[in-house]
Amino acid sequence: MRRSVLILLLVFAVTLSFAALGFKVGVVTGTVSQGEDEYRGAENVIRKYGKEIIHVTYPDKFMQEQETTIARIVELAYDPTVKAIVICQGVPGTVAAMRRVKEFRPDMIFVVGVPHEDPEVVGPIADAVLETDTPGRGVTIVDIAYKMGAKRLIHYSFPRHMSYKLLAERRDIMEKRSKELGIEFIFVSAPDPLGEQGLTGAQQFILEDVPRQIAKYGKDTAFFSTNCGMQEPLQKAILRHGGIYAEPCCPSPTHGFPGSLGISIPPEKKGDINYILKVVNDKIIELGGAGRFATWPIPMNMVFVEAGVDLAIELVKKTVKANDMAGVKAVIDRVISQKVSGFGLKSISKYPNAGNYYLVICDSVIFGVTQF
Amino acid sequence: MEKFKRILVSNAVPIAFLALSISAVLVARIPPLFLVSEIVRRLSRNTFLVLSLLIPIVAGMGLNFGIVLGAMAGQAAMFFVVDWKIKDIPGVIVAMILGSVIATLLGWLAGLVLNRAKGREMITSMILGFFANGVYQLIFLFFIGSIIPFKTRQFLLPEGVGLRNTVDLYGSIASALNKVWIVRIGTVRVFVVPILITVGLCFLIYFLFKTKLGQDIRAVGQDMHIAEVAGIKVNKIRIIAVIMSTVLAAIGQIIYLQDISTINTYNSHEQVGLFSIAALLVGGASTRRASIWNAIIGVLLFHTLFVVAPSAGNKLFGQPQVGEFFREFLAYAVIAFALAMHGWSAKKGKH
Repeated sequence: MRRSVLILLLVFAVTLSFAALGFKVGVVTGTVSQGEDEYRGAENVIRKYGKEIIHVTYPDKFMQEQETTIARIVELAYDPTVKAIVICQGVPGTVAAMRRVKEFRPDMIFVVGVPHEDPEVVGPIADAVLETDTPGRGVTIVDIAYKMGAKRLIHYSFPRHMSYKLLAERRDIMEKRSKELGIEFIFVSAPDPLGEQGLTGAQQFILEDVPRQIAKYGKDTAFFSTNCGMQEPLQKAILRHGGIYAEPCCPSPTHGFPGSLGISIPPEKKGDINYILKVVNDKIIELGGAGRFATWPIPMNMVFVEAGVDLAIELVKKTVKANDMAGVKAVIDRVISQKVSGFGLKSISKYPNAGNYYLVICDSVIFGVTQF
Repeated sequence: MEKFKRILVSNAVPIAFLALSISAVLVARIPPLFLVSEIVRRLSRNTFLVLSLLIPIVAGMGLNFGIVLGAMAGQAAMFFVVDWKIKDIPGVIVAMILGSVIATLLGWLAGLVLNRAKGREMITSMILGFFANGVYQLIFLFFIGSIIPFKTRQFLLPEGVGLRNTVDLYGSIASALNKVWIVRIGTVRVFVVPILITVGLCFLIYFLFKTKLGQDIRAVGQDMHIAEVAGIKVNKIRIIAVIMSTVLAAIGQIIYLQDISTINTYNSHEQVGLFSIAALLVGGASTRRASIWNAIIGVLLFHTLFVVAPSAGNKLFGQPQVGEFFREFLAYAVIAFALAMHGWSAKKGKH
C-alpha cells in the first residue's frame, strides 16, 4: 500500500515538473500583418506550454503608438505570476516599458528579440537580447550575391531606416565588401512604407523600379531591401524580369516567398518549416529562379520567440546564466535543429558594451542549389 | 423630461463613450490598479496637448492638426537640451523656452498660410503637418552634425551626420517634472507637477477669454465679417491664435516626452495631432465649440478605452491580435463617429 502511494506520488511529481512551469511567461509580438513569423512563434510556444504563456500584441503603427506598447508590457507585469517577458520585435517603447516594470518588479526577466532601439540602450536593461548579426550580414549578403553571380548590388532603403544605427552600419559594410569583391554597390531611395503613401505606394515603387534597373544594368544585378513589406514585390519582380535576390531583410523561407510564389500553405503545415522549404524550392525551380534566390532555412524571428521563451524559462530557473554565450547558443541551436535538422547557428557574438546583446548568423540556403 | 432629453442629445458622444468604456472595462478584467495608475498617468501626460487645441477652435479655425508643428518644435528643443547636457528641471525649462521660440516662428508661418485658406483650415493644417514632417526629416537627418553642430556622438548615426531613430532621455531630462513631487496612493503614483502645470494652463485659458484679446478671438470665431466691421484685425487675431496653440503644443510635447522618456526621433510627433483631436472630440467638443472640461473628460474616456480595448478584444475574440485590431478600429471609429454625431447634431440645431 505504502509503495503504491509512493509510486503515485512520484508519477504525480514527474508529470507536474513536465507539465507545469509554476509561473507564467508573457510574450509580446506584432500582429500577422506586421510580421507573421514572430506571431506563429508565439502560437508554437502556446502549443508547447499552454496557459502558462500570455500572448499580447503591440500596435501595427508601433512607431507612432509607443504609449500602447508601453502599456501592454506594463500590464503583463501587474500579474504576479508572470516571471518573464519575451518581446519580439523590441519596437520603440520597449526600453521605456522595461524601465517602468523594473521599478516595481526588479525580479522580472526580459528577453528581447530584434530590438529597434539602440544596442547601448536596450542591452543593459534587458536580461538577454537576441538579434540577427546585422553588421555581420553586411558581409554575408554580399558574399551570397557574389556566389550567385552578381555584378551589381542595389540596396533599397529610405531615410527612416537609415537612421537605425545597425542598418546604416550594415549598408556601409555592404558597400565596402562589394568593393572588395568588385561588385558595384548602388543605393536606391524608396518611399517609406510608414509615410503618407503607405505600404502600397512603397510596393508599387518596387514593382516599377526593378524592371527599370534590370533594363539599365542587366540581369546579373542583385537586389536587397531593408523593409519587410517590400520583399514580396521584390521577389515577384525579380522572378518576372530576371535579377538576383540576395536575401530577405529578415532571412527566412516564409518572408515574402509564399505570397510572391502564390503558394498556399495548408493549415496543418503552417509551422512545418521543412515542408515550406521544399515547396518554395520546387516553385522557384519551376519558375526559372534556380540558383538566383537565397535565404536562411528558418525564420529568425520565430526562433527568437521560441528560443527566447526557452531561454527566459531557464533564466528564471537559473539553469543558464544570461552572460554565458555557449549556454545561450545551445538553447538557440536546440530550437533550430528541432525544426530543420542539420541546421544551426553559423556564429554568435556579443555586441560590445551592450550587456548580453547577442548577435547571431544562421547558415544560408540557395534555392535550386541546396538539397532539401 | 424635455430638458433631460436635450442634455442627452447634446452630450451623446461622451455618454456613448462612457458606456463603451465601462463595458470594455467589465469585459477586459484587467488589474484595476494598473488601469487607475495608467489613467492617472495619462491625465498628467496628455491633457496639456489636448488643451492646446482649444484656442483655434474658439477662433473659428476648427481642429488644429497643425499642433504637430508645435510638437516638432518641442522635440527639436529637447534634442539640443540633451546635447548641451542641461539636466532635470533646468533642462526642461530651457527646452520649453527654446521650443516656444521655434513654435512661435512655425505658428506664425502656419497662421499666414491658414489666413489664405479660410474655411479650409483643418485640411490645410493637416497637410502643413505632413509638409513640415519632410522638412523636419531633412533637418535632423542631414543638417544635424553637418551644418548644425551637435556634440553628443552617441545620438548621431555612425557617419556623424543625422540623429538616430531613438534619443534616450534617461539620465538627462527623463521624468524631470514627474519626479519632483510624487504622491503615492498604494501602488498608484500621481505626478503632481505636470498636473499642476496642466491646471495652471486651464486657469490661463479661462482668464484669457475674459481679456480683450480673448473676447476678440471669440468674436472672430463667431463671425469674421462682423468682427472685421467692429474694427478687429481678423487676420492678426487668427495668427495669434495659431501661434498660441503651436507654442502650447510644443510645451505639451515636452511634458509628454519627459514622461515617456525616450524620443522616437522621426515619429513621436506624428500621431499627436490625431490622438489629441480624437480625445477632445470624445470629450464632447465639436469643430466649433470646445471647453476645458471637454479636454479633460476626453482624455479620461479616450485613454480608458485605449488601455482596455486590446484586452477586451482579446477576451472577446480569444486571439491576441484581434485585440489589437479592435483597439485600432475603436480609435478611428471614435473619430469618425464623433464627427458624424456633430454633423448630425449641428444639422438638428439648425432646424
